[in-house]
Amino acid sequence: MKTIPFLKRSAISLLIILSGSAFAEPPVVKEGLTSAQLLLARRQADAQDPMRRMEASAVQDPSVVNRPKSLLGESDIISFGNFATLVPKRAILQIPENYADRIQMKPGAALQSWRDFYALNRSWITTVEVTRVQAEGNEDIAAETKTQMVKTGNLVIATYLGGPISVLPLKVPVEKTTAKMKP
Amino acid sequence: MRTSLFRLIVIGLVGGASAVGQTYTNFVRQWQMPSGVTWDASDMVAATGSQLSNLAINPGGARFDLWTIRSSPLTEYLLDSCYVSTYTPVAQVVIDTEDPSGKDLTVTGPVPANLPGRLRRTRADRPFTVFVNVQGMLSGATDPVGSRSVNLFRHVQSYGTGVGVGLDRTQAILRSQASINANGLQTLAYSMTTIPGSNLKKLRGEERFSVFSVDDYQSPAAQLASQYIQVWPVTDGIISGITQDQVVRFSMPQITFTYNDIYPGSSVYAQVYRGERVAGRVGAILVGGGKTNTGSDPTVEVLTPTNGVDSLFTSDGRWTIELMSSSPFGVETLRTPSDSLAFVTFTIDRTIEVNGTVTTIE
Repeated sequence: MKTIPFLKRSAISLLIILSGSAFAEPPVVKEGLTSAQLLLARRQADAQDPMRRMEASAVQDPSVVNRPKSLLGESDIISFGNFATLVPKRAILQIPENYADRIQMKPGAALQSWRDFYALNRSWITTVEVTRVQAEGNEDIAAETKTQMVKTGNLVIATYLGGPISVLPLKVPVEKTTAKMKP
Repeated sequence: MRTSLFRLIVIGLVGGASAVGQTYTNFVRQWQMPSGVTWDASDMVAATGSQLSNLAINPGGARFDLWTIRSSPLTEYLLDSCYVSTYTPVAQVVIDTEDPSGKDLTVTGPVPANLPGRLRRTRADRPFTVFVNVQGMLSGATDPVGSRSVNLFRHVQSYGTGVGVGLDRTQAILRSQASINANGLQTLAYSMTTIPGSNLKKLRGEERFSVFSVDDYQSPAAQLASQYIQVWPVTDGIISGITQDQVVRFSMPQITFTYNDIYPGSSVYAQVYRGERVAGRVGAILVGGGKTNTGSDPTVEVLTPTNGVDSLFTSDGRWTIELMSSSPFGVETLRTPSDSLAFVTFTIDRTIEVNGTVTTIE
């Protein structure tokens, strides 16, 4: 049977381009696996799981019980103008009545990082730096700071080194009761 | 309370979920365990780079979540999550496949690396390798439980007929789990995916490998490292408009090539040669009968070449048209959905025979 040299040359050239190298040999052409071959390969793959050679473990799957749930669900949204940002829940220490409608996502607003959003809205947002101990609820925020917060009339956000941080409710120390001994 | 800091690494913040015309904003949250104090560390790190966290972690550790949020419609995507503590081991998971897409080819050594924000992928019938590297594990009898072992989990999840958008990963199937009690690198070689499905050629979904710390008195089991690959179906093809052993008298009939599930980054085409079908034979490319999938998901193409088809068949005799694929897995003859090889051999007979007689009369 006579071949057609030109067509054959052009085919080989195109295949070489497809295989990614102008200097490569003509590629080895394989045939795709049949379903029966693939089924056999799958059974072997199931039987030869390399993790079976490791020490067995039978703990509850942690990926379904301890994974991040929802950033939006665990955040408060602050929006004003055409922009909005997210802060952790409990990071907002004070919401004056006249700013209450800004604690929501405004339709069409573009999200910004906290730093960018705060830079545009310093006139009505005040930050209060808290310590880690205060954020954990182990120490109250100073009374003087609380007074200043009220005086500003601004929305007040708790921050730690400039980043919004949640502040847990103050833990009330459990008072030790001593039973009186009867004489 | 320990005050040691840890290294917060954020890479490829934008690459994973960006799209043209969409606005995405990235957030990094540090979640202290067990108190639940949450700190927004988004402004502490550049879009690509590393930074020491300024918020010291408690003995219970902290989880770092990397999210990206699309403004409209308001949609959140969890890009990565990692737990660190003062005594839990450090783990690394890397999955390598034959498809170099997403692989950092500049990295050499026993453990390959993937490009930031890029997903690795493979095909339903192809092998892949998982590298699990654990360091910082302690072995003393008095060391905390959480410092002496970690658990490795393998999850699989089918995309059904989709491409995995909006996938609820809590629905993934736990395929296997194992305990790791020593530092070092483990290399796990898999011959193919075990994503569930009745048609093994058409599996599409994810294989995920994760290392979790061990539950102890300080904190629940938390993710130390995790990586997943996408698995896409095997391409098949159909030739229609001409049948096996058909005799073509004059011009070629209109032929249509249907390619199903073209693997991302691969090319499909039809080749032509004289004679019966021969395995491994390289023929001439039929112009207009092929396509390259430049996207990141499988595609379907229906192609009807119109120009120059007749010119390829230059002589009478037997000819074969065969559907092919060129992918990271090599050059292959496609199969049809019913499992036969996707080719057709036919006869061209354009010679006009005239039967006549000549008689003479004296």
